Amino acid sequence: MAVKFFGQFLVENNLVTREALLKAIDLQEQKNLKFGEMAISTGYVTKEEIERAHNLQLSRDMKLGDLLVELGILTLNQLNDIITRQQNTHLYIGEALVQVGALSSEQLQAHLDAFKKDQARFVSDRIELPAGIADGLVWEMTADLTYKMITRVLGLPFRAGKCQAVTTVDSNFMMAALDLVGDVEARFILSVSEGIQKEIAKAILREKSVDTEPVEVLEDTVMEFVNVVCGNVAAKASQMGKVMNINPPVALHPPATGLQIPSGCIALCFPIHVGENDKMELVLFIRQ
Amino acid sequence: MKKVLVVDDSLSVARQLEKIIADSGDFTSVGHAKNGAEAIKMNHTENPDIICMDMNMPGMDGLTALRSLVVLDKDVKVVMVTSLGGVGDKFTEALKLGAKNVISKPFEAENVLQILREL
Repeated sequence: MAVKFFGQFLVENNLVTREALLKAIDLQEQKNLKFGEMAISTGYVTKEEIERAHNLQLSRDMKLGDLLVELGILTLNQLNDIITRQQNTHLYIGEALVQVGALSSEQLQAHLDAFKKDQARFVSDRIELPAGIADGLVWEMTADLTYKMITRVLGLPFRAGKCQAVTTVDSNFMMAALDLVGDVEARFILSVSEGIQKEIAKAILREKSVDTEPVEVLEDTVMEFVNVVCGNVAAKASQMGKVMNINPPVALHPPATGLQIPSGCIALCFPIHVGENDKMELVLFIRQ
Repeated sequence: MKKVLVVDDSLSVARQLEKIIADSGDFTSVGHAKNGAEAIKMNHTENPDIICMDMNMPGMDGLTALRSLVVLDKDVKVVMVTSLGGVGDKFTEALKLGAKNVISKPFEAENVLQILREL
């Protein structure tokens, strides 16, 4: 039911062994040159220049290639050439599994087709964000995957409202928040009314009634749902070339005046219409 | 019957996993640890055959605990249960550190039991 990468799909379905996958990953690590290694192999930079840039990276939040351009060591054309060479020579996990003898080429194609079919339900539809949001595709994917998980994990019928940039976030019965950190950063917040909290608890605990459950269990189910959504968002982000880690989720009990937006962030609100008496929203505090 | 220790900071996930284990007929739960440090302690006191452990926990996380567990107890089999299973780097790191498999959240009972039975 989750977003997966191809190697995981193969192991989970007993199509390759864990040992064969590790062997193929070792081969990938030998063959796929890192950016610095590829840059040296082209002759554009020296080992000493890469070491100098790596040391500077300790105090500069920049990718190695961008830093080398800023330092005047690489031109933009050379940077693009190195990236293209990396892409053109990349050994993918499927090809690596063929090379280590774990799969035939025919099996690889058949398994790739099955994998694409399995993951088709997580292919993103277009969601419109307000203009000027950096890394908009990542946040569109985040909202889209949240909607898909509401359908698939919670089984809740809903209608997605128009996304808007907001200056405060309306209060609600409770919120579960999780910090996404890495190449792109945001606080993911799911705001729910009491009725929706119970619906989430029923789905996560697989119980028909949760009326006797303690508050901490009910809140934990909302946090766990957020954890599952964000883990899958991180997996999708990695497929888009963005490293994203997740911190453990927390429960928030906002005051009646709502939540203030932290400085340095833009807040996007995605209303999730679930019925007249209930309120549900996805809010992203995106660090700019 | 094989003994299973569940390690997850989420009460609801621990409850789901313990129910799957209890209903299986093949496995029995020896308890629930809320973070990696508790898992290491309970592995010593409860001596489980299998540990089902979350990656993303406050305090000592799952991968840090996995590093210690595979050194301290060569017999215990650790399966990571995580929402980050689809992140290739995390999946690979878990296997390289000695995890026997990785179960992605959200999971189905049959999938969990199939993986535990294969250990």
